[in-house]
Amino acid sequence: MKRAIELLVIISLILGVSLLLTFASELLVPSKDIRLLALFYLFTAFNPRIEYYTVSSPEVVTAIVWDYRGLDTLFETSVFYLALIAGLALARKLYTETYSGEVVSGGLSTIVKTVTRITAPMIIVVGASIGLHGHLTPGGGFQGGATIAVAPMIFIVVYSTMFLLSKGVSSSRMLLLRSIGLLGIGFTGIAGFLIGLAVNKYAYVFQNLPKPGAEIGLPAYIGNVLISGTLWFFNFFEMLAVAAGFTIAFTVLLLARREG
Amino acid sequence: MNLEFVNSYLLIITLTSLLVNSIIAIYGIFYRPHYIKKVIALTILSDTMNTFAIYLGYRRWIDNVNPRPPVLTTPPTDEALDSFIRQAVDPLPQALVLTAVVIGLAVTLFLVFQGYILYTHYKTLDMREIKKLKG
Repeated sequence: MKRAIELLVIISLILGVSLLLTFASELLVPSKDIRLLALFYLFTAFNPRIEYYTVSSPEVVTAIVWDYRGLDTLFETSVFYLALIAGLALARKLYTETYSGEVVSGGLSTIVKTVTRITAPMIIVVGASIGLHGHLTPGGGFQGGATIAVAPMIFIVVYSTMFLLSKGVSSSRMLLLRSIGLLGIGFTGIAGFLIGLAVNKYAYVFQNLPKPGAEIGLPAYIGNVLISGTLWFFNFFEMLAVAAGFTIAFTVLLLARREG
Repeated sequence: MNLEFVNSYLLIITLTSLLVNSIIAIYGIFYRPHYIKKVIALTILSDTMNTFAIYLGYRRWIDNVNPRPPVLTTPPTDEALDSFIRQAVDPLPQALVLTAVVIGLAVTLFLVFQGYILYTHYKTLDMREIKKLKG
């Protein structure tokens, strides 16, 4: 009863203060106009008429994340990587990861196991779709990777961590996959620069499409398919790195023993 | 009571709830003794702040039409780009929030691992008792 009254008081407080603010101020509500910077992003993100200033990506958020503010996202990826490495270093003596070869039994009931076996490939496909269409639709590498990492999590809950290990999903393999993803991000970042070195022309680090004064760049289209230069590759490798990273974190956290 | 009024009332309800939410989260970080509850309060605070950043980039309804997400869904003709620019919300806060979400998740992961170490070391996660133990 007391809790219900407290909840009622809080809710009525919120509604009342909101009503007061509605009358009091027009300033707190977002206006009909947006900032000039946002207008610039919206105008240039996918605009074939300004060939040297566009990203050729209909998804403006991905264009900002991996092109306009690409270095920001690169360092964000390294922060994520370092946090995971620090966590693994803290937990390094707490878990042993050897699959002894015994038959894995237990887990939840047969119904749950069958449903998991059916839905897990679907989860992975949805995650891959979110990640690989990151330059066309809302989503991107990180969201796709996080969705894919749900599949091993469900397997750990429904079967067991040992089942995942017996299927070959060990943390060292995931670390390998994650390193491939990070190396891919690094090489995609300097791809324009490397091409520029090879053909002896100017090019920037982290360059996507051709820019004025630096004619080197990755193509926006391959055949008829829009890949928006480096954005597709960044999303793909980020997806690999994030999915593998979360899988490592889940397996290690659930393998850790108290006595160490 | 016209639609414009209801619209701004709903937006202000969102804003006030965000403020109350962040106050509760700060209370949880400082006054809850348990480590895991502190971590949960920290994630609530960071999510509230992310929602607040997205709110700042939002746009009011124009002629009773909802603003569009910043995704161009038609071929980039002049008319399509024009209506896109007049209707889409600000994409920059969303991109910054994406970065903030990833970093927040990484920090949460690190804190969870650290909580594990704390538990193996002190056999408790109550911060009052850990403070008493000193070492």
